Amino acid sequence: MRSRFTIVFLKELREMLRERRMLGFLLIASLMYPLLIGFIMHQMIEKNTRTEREGIELTVIGGARAPTLMSQLRERSVTVTESAQMDEAAIGELLHSKKAVAVLRLSDAFVDNYQAMRPARLELWFDSSTESNTQRRDLEEILQAYSNNIASARLLAHGVSPAALSPIQVQRYDTGTNASRSAMVIGGIIGILFLPAFFLNMSAAVDCTAGERERRSLEVLMAQPATTWELVGGKWLAASVPSVFGVTLVLVLAHAILRWLPLEEIGLSWNMGWGELLLVCLVTVPLSLLSSALFVALAMNARTFKEAQTTASFVTIVPLIPGFAVSFLELKTAQWMYLVPMLSNQTLIKELAKTGDIGVLPFVLTFLCSLIPALLLVAFASWRMKSEKYVLAV
Amino acid sequence: MIEVHDVRKQFGAVQALGGVSFTARDGQITALLGPNGAGKTTLLRTLVGLLKRDHGSILVGGVDPEKDPMAVRRNIGFLTDQFGLYERLTTREYLNYFGELNGMERAALRLRIAEVAELLGMDDILERTTKGFSQGQRIKVALARTLLHRPRHLLLDEPSRGLDVMSTRALRTALAALREDGCCVIMATHVMQEVVHLCEDVIVIANGHTVAQGSPEELCRRTGIADLEDAFVSLVGTEEGIA
Repeated sequence: MRSRFTIVFLKELREMLRERRMLGFLLIASLMYPLLIGFIMHQMIEKNTRTEREGIELTVIGGARAPTLMSQLRERSVTVTESAQMDEAAIGELLHSKKAVAVLRLSDAFVDNYQAMRPARLELWFDSSTESNTQRRDLEEILQAYSNNIASARLLAHGVSPAALSPIQVQRYDTGTNASRSAMVIGGIIGILFLPAFFLNMSAAVDCTAGERERRSLEVLMAQPATTWELVGGKWLAASVPSVFGVTLVLVLAHAILRWLPLEEIGLSWNMGWGELLLVCLVTVPLSLLSSALFVALAMNARTFKEAQTTASFVTIVPLIPGFAVSFLELKTAQWMYLVPMLSNQTLIKELAKTGDIGVLPFVLTFLCSLIPALLLVAFASWRMKSEKYVLAV
Repeated sequence: MIEVHDVRKQFGAVQALGGVSFTARDGQITALLGPNGAGKTTLLRTLVGLLKRDHGSILVGGVDPEKDPMAVRRNIGFLTDQFGLYERLTTREYLNYFGELNGMERAALRLRIAEVAELLGMDDILERTTKGFSQGQRIKVALARTLLHRPRHLLLDEPSRGLDVMSTRALRTALAALREDGCCVIMATHVMQEVVHLCEDVIVIANGHTVAQGSPEELCRRTGIADLEDAFVSLVGTEEGIA
């Protein structure tokens, strides 16, 4: 004979699977996330590597008037495309189509002014709403350097040292690399991977407790020869199933996507093998158990399904707080982080992605820090269901 | 046999049961009469061990529900004022669930479901999900659940409400069969006709106290009133009971 615990579990699972539409929706909602991550990361890599691959596209009108400038631009890996005269609208269209980063227009009077040593006007057309601002700055720097060179030559010709024009010299050092910028991005992305553990099981947990109470079938169930632990335990495990399933699926999918993306292009790493991922999935199971226990303990005290759902949705936000706090305060990874449910899972996968080898302890801590409170919550819920106060309110 | 002696139960300042004593014998159908709010639900809940009494003693088949609630519940069929159906399950799945919770084997369960379905005339709804069932169909399913594990004791809270004539007859046949089997049936009801037709014994409670116990004829004789309904009103004691 099957244990009553199993009987309750199987019945709740069967009832849950009858709600096909809801399950389908939840599944799609959770699968959207890794796909979205994949897409965003892909775009990020694209953007970061575009300059190196393609160089700067520049369209020049009347380039023949300044051959030295043209050759200097080409030296600095700018792809110069000569073009016939264009009006304002045509230039705007060209920039909008992103075929060129900017358009350089030399007026007819350029040569005359240049030779007469009057400021010779160059027009630089660009579209500041596009993402090519860095490339535009590079262009401006080249133009500035060209201008400085000519100024120096002219001063020398007059017997003045060009150094007189540069009383100070600024040398810039940017220590921010693509890697450090993207590390923050990926840290934030990974944090949300575990969120399905907190929303896939909510409706199931609320339905089998507050819902059952609202439909007035709980009293009959409680009058059966089964202990409250068997009832609560069965419901708890059944509610955890969609969460465990969903989180595992999301992690596997995200892993596949992140492995496939050329992350090293933007200085990131995903040093995880499938074996390690399997371990992560395993130690994440208690996280789903914890969230289900939390929802069951909360929802069984609610009078209606709606009330329970409201409280539960609020609770869904709570597990995200430690993760946000840590990234906001820029805390370094420390041992205590493996003692906070959810944060421990986030830290675990972040460290694994970075270094690949972190030892056994973080896994064990992550596993236990969710499992122990989950069991305590279930024990509390069982104790609560046994109380007379609860029986009277059913 | 269900023996109850001077059971009291208090919720805060409210005395729900102030001293209930009776004996419901095997092979008899005992009616539990009492106005709304007399404490019937509290009494039934105390009998299955969902609530703990403050005072007195209860023996259900010789077992105290407070000491061994599981043993008592295995031997009780409890029909509450709520049917407790699961709308996403079929009648058969529903009955399987409660049968298994009561420790029945799959094979035995299949036979027993067929038996109970025939007894209550509900073969046509066995494979349907209970969503959209009529009041009569609902109570049949709930009754089937109560009878399923062949409990020796049955606590039925208004089992005939909402039943049409045919179903009421089916219910009566079922109850008579249970009596033949030597079960101890306690039935809370408001229908005097049913009491006269079915019950050997009547317990009248009002305000959480047992007011009288005896056969319908005895109660009529004791009050000197020929009609059981009038006798009941007189026993409960005036307006407060009727209200």
